Amino acid sequence: MRFDELLKKKEFIVLDGAMGTMLQAKGLKMGETPEALNIEKPDWLYDIHRQYIEAGSDIIYANTFGANRYKLKKCGYSVEQVVGEAIKIARKACEGTDTLVALDIGPIGQMLEPTGTLSFEDAYDTFKQLVLAGREADVVVFETMTDLYELKAAILAAKENTDLPILCTMTFEENMRTFTGCDISAMCVTAEGLGADAVGVNCSLGPKELYPVVEKICRWTTLPVIVKPNAGLPDPVTNEYNCSPEEFARLAEALIPLGINIIGGCCGTNPAYIKELVKMLADKKSVQRNVQIPAVCCSAVETVVIDQPRIIGERINPTGKKRFKQALLEGDIDYILGQAIEQIHAGADILDVNVGLPSIDEKAMMVRAVKALQGIVDTPLQLDSTIPEVMEAALRVYNGKPIVNSVNAEEESLNNVLPLVKKYGAAVVGLTLDENGIPKTADERFKLAKKILDRALAIGIRKEDVFIDCLTLTASAEQENVMQTVNAVRRVKEELGLRTVLGVSNISFGLPGREIVNHNFLMMCLTSGLDLPIMNPNIDSMAATVRAYKLLTNIDKNSVNFIAHYGGETNAPAKKQEPKGDIDLTYAIENGLKGEGAEITAKLLETTDSMVIINEMLVPALDRAGERFEQGKIFLPQLIQTAGVAQACFEVIKNKMLSEGGSSVSKGKIILATVKGDIHDIGKNIVKVLLENYGYDVIDLGKDVDYQTVVDAAIENDVHLVGLSALMTTTLVSMEETIKLLRANNVDCKIMVGGAVVTPDYAEQIGADFYSKDAKQSVDIARQVFGN
Amino acid sequence: MKNITLESLDRSEALRYMGYGETAPDEKIMSEVRQCEKQLLAVIKPCFVYKVFDTEPAENGVALKGTTLILKGRDISEHLKGCEKCVLFAATLSFAADMLIRRYEATDMTKAVIADFLASAAVEQVCDIADKTVRTELEGYYQTWRFSPGYGDLPIDIQGEFLDVIDAGKRIGLNVTTGNILTPRKSVTAVIGLSKNKISKGRQGCALCNMKEVCQFRKRGEHCAF
Repeated sequence: MRFDELLKKKEFIVLDGAMGTMLQAKGLKMGETPEALNIEKPDWLYDIHRQYIEAGSDIIYANTFGANRYKLKKCGYSVEQVVGEAIKIARKACEGTDTLVALDIGPIGQMLEPTGTLSFEDAYDTFKQLVLAGREADVVVFETMTDLYELKAAILAAKENTDLPILCTMTFEENMRTFTGCDISAMCVTAEGLGADAVGVNCSLGPKELYPVVEKICRWTTLPVIVKPNAGLPDPVTNEYNCSPEEFARLAEALIPLGINIIGGCCGTNPAYIKELVKMLADKKSVQRNVQIPAVCCSAVETVVIDQPRIIGERINPTGKKRFKQALLEGDIDYILGQAIEQIHAGADILDVNVGLPSIDEKAMMVRAVKALQGIVDTPLQLDSTIPEVMEAALRVYNGKPIVNSVNAEEESLNNVLPLVKKYGAAVVGLTLDENGIPKTADERFKLAKKILDRALAIGIRKEDVFIDCLTLTASAEQENVMQTVNAVRRVKEELGLRTVLGVSNISFGLPGREIVNHNFLMMCLTSGLDLPIMNPNIDSMAATVRAYKLLTNIDKNSVNFIAHYGGETNAPAKKQEPKGDIDLTYAIENGLKGEGAEITAKLLETTDSMVIINEMLVPALDRAGERFEQGKIFLPQLIQTAGVAQACFEVIKNKMLSEGGSSVSKGKIILATVKGDIHDIGKNIVKVLLENYGYDVIDLGKDVDYQTVVDAAIENDVHLVGLSALMTTTLVSMEETIKLLRANNVDCKIMVGGAVVTPDYAEQIGADFYSKDAKQSVDIARQVFGN
Repeated sequence: MKNITLESLDRSEALRYMGYGETAPDEKIMSEVRQCEKQLLAVIKPCFVYKVFDTEPAENGVALKGTTLILKGRDISEHLKGCEKCVLFAATLSFAADMLIRRYEATDMTKAVIADFLASAAVEQVCDIADKTVRTELEGYYQTWRFSPGYGDLPIDIQGEFLDVIDAGKRIGLNVTTGNILTPRKSVTAVIGLSKNKISKGRQGCALCNMKEVCQFRKRGEHCAF
């Protein structure tokens, strides 16, 4: 019997109940590795499996929940050994029955980056080893997952290394989210998109409390739905669960009308619970769900339904932006993150991410940018690259369901891009152009849209996941064709029933009063059926047009959002304070006035050389703040605030220099890294801000940095000062190892170390050249090293 | 597992961590503190989990019955002297606190620093509530103060097993890295001794603390209030 046959044959598939609970009853101690019992007590497992099979389970979970390489470390057995035995025992228990064996895989037990130190790629390898070791099973189950990113690594590992059906369940709390904030809709669309065969919930709560969770899952997937609840809620003191087998079955019955298909028990349940479930299900029919999943994209936390115009922010793109290009060349990821936050505050619902620049490794930068962005924002991303390898790398590491920008009607593009969209379960932007370029007429563009749709459907991409871009041409060059675009948008929307997307800003290229043209064109397109304008939300009139459109079309019911933005003082976006005429740069810096600092700097630049501003105004002001910090007159937040203003001033200077074609100011290059194993990097980031404001170029290697990475970066960039930080006594050894490796490679650099647990004595002992007690002192050290 | 709602964060404690003792911060900083507090309160999901165990003396520390965990070291043995039971608990502000601080780090370091200190103060608040809950739910026991892995000679590498025996991964989403750092970061694990008889022990303070040589509080002639 195979899983799909079982699904067809039975109204409901019954899973087993708890394994841990049963093992503890047999004498497993808390803290012991339960999977070691596959080798040490195989008869225990055989017995438990037999009990569940006799109770009526159609699928039993082999004892492999925590059999990953990290968790098995403490028991000394290999993954292959433990998993192999587990499947063998389960198989033996199933002899003479139709019961299937599941390779059961739980969370790795380590958080993924950026909160933890486990990389996505390492998570993938860990799961890959497990699925390969468990190939003899009938299905793979990923359960008790709380991190969608980890689940994605797991599904990919299973898909790419076996043909087994994949069942996924996550653990949702009463707030309808997992501990990492993952939303039910995000889990459903992401897992289904990646090719899971069934999705649902396990553990978490009892069958009663899970009702709203199951209800939402059933609305968000077309796949069979799995429910494996706990035996109610545990008593905080005794840890006993409060639901009897009979009550459990009775409460589970209430879930049937929602459309569930697969059911079992988790913590606190035993064969008696399964027996009651089987009894209850005996005369029940499953309910056919008729769900239509809308057009969506999502991050793990936020699902954006394209049921109304949604703004795609276009600013993360180097085209025509010198400052952005510079950031890419310098690997300055914070600049990109800043662009993201600014657009979100301005009203972007989705962010387009394009980091293509001929002179950089686009693939590496794309992966880095996507990982960094999803580490700080919940807004879904639209991945934008013309190179298929870059696109695939981005799709792989994206956490959620992204939009691919883009495919077009050329054969090569259709053949390269659509399979990626299908494999990773993304949505896709289809450009109405082909080998012959952009057609002039709406009719021809409509035909290309149809072609893209047909090809997408042919390889199994849903219609809802195809968004068509009818392409904006500039009004100054092809005024007569503007309406062709607008009409094409209308036809694609009305006749094909597809969502439409359009970059609107190009319309005004070469014209004066661009803003006027842009927002009027935007309104024309919205009225004709544009769903996804790709635009600059930071320009007030653009975001305002979308808001006004939503008000006028009764999408923004009772004008709630509109009034929140424009009505009354309290909810209006904070207005910038006009700079007072009498303040100077020093005053602005000392008082934390960022906006004023930047404006004064811009004015000063008209008459004063930038180096004079830096050396005679910025640096002395920072020095004074540093002195007051040392004297205990001001404290860390104020010191950082001062640095923040200086940073804003530097940004203005940098922009000016770039626009004049000059290189940026640099007093010397410094590497900063939080050492291997340590993830506390706020101290290092404070040091970075200060050093940058004194004109040093900081190469920030981040946290949990490999020894070799530091050595490589120092050699590659010819860096003569390296700063290392550690906050834990346990990671100090990494600091020592990094220094050893730098010395062993004869890297010509001085090393400064700092962090809460580092002492001057220890710094000397491990061979550092300097001990830096705080951010201020690191500046003094840099001055000493570089003699400036 | 218990979810907690914090109505406000302990600003004065956070300011003390930042170094403001006698000097009051200016209005600009206070306004940042208020904004960070509001943001943190909006996103964090503070919760804790605890379990009670019977203790028994082991060769090199204290064993917890029904588990493989041994709390190793002289200091924890001293701490749990006369305690027939102990509570293991873990508290966290949740994943969202880490994300908020990361976001601030990318855009506004002043806020990042302030939010980091506020979150540290907040997790202590959660611990205090956990402490109180244990007191109410386990009537009739005297309890010791909270002793955490990494303090004194109680090794920090028991963190993983500690979380396993109270099932903290499943129950509150708390994990540990291979370097024994708790994730989410704004989290605490601790042991509280329980005894039917009065425990006459004061706080051990700085003497056992691994940070005593580099502690910023001690340099100012203060202490961290532990």
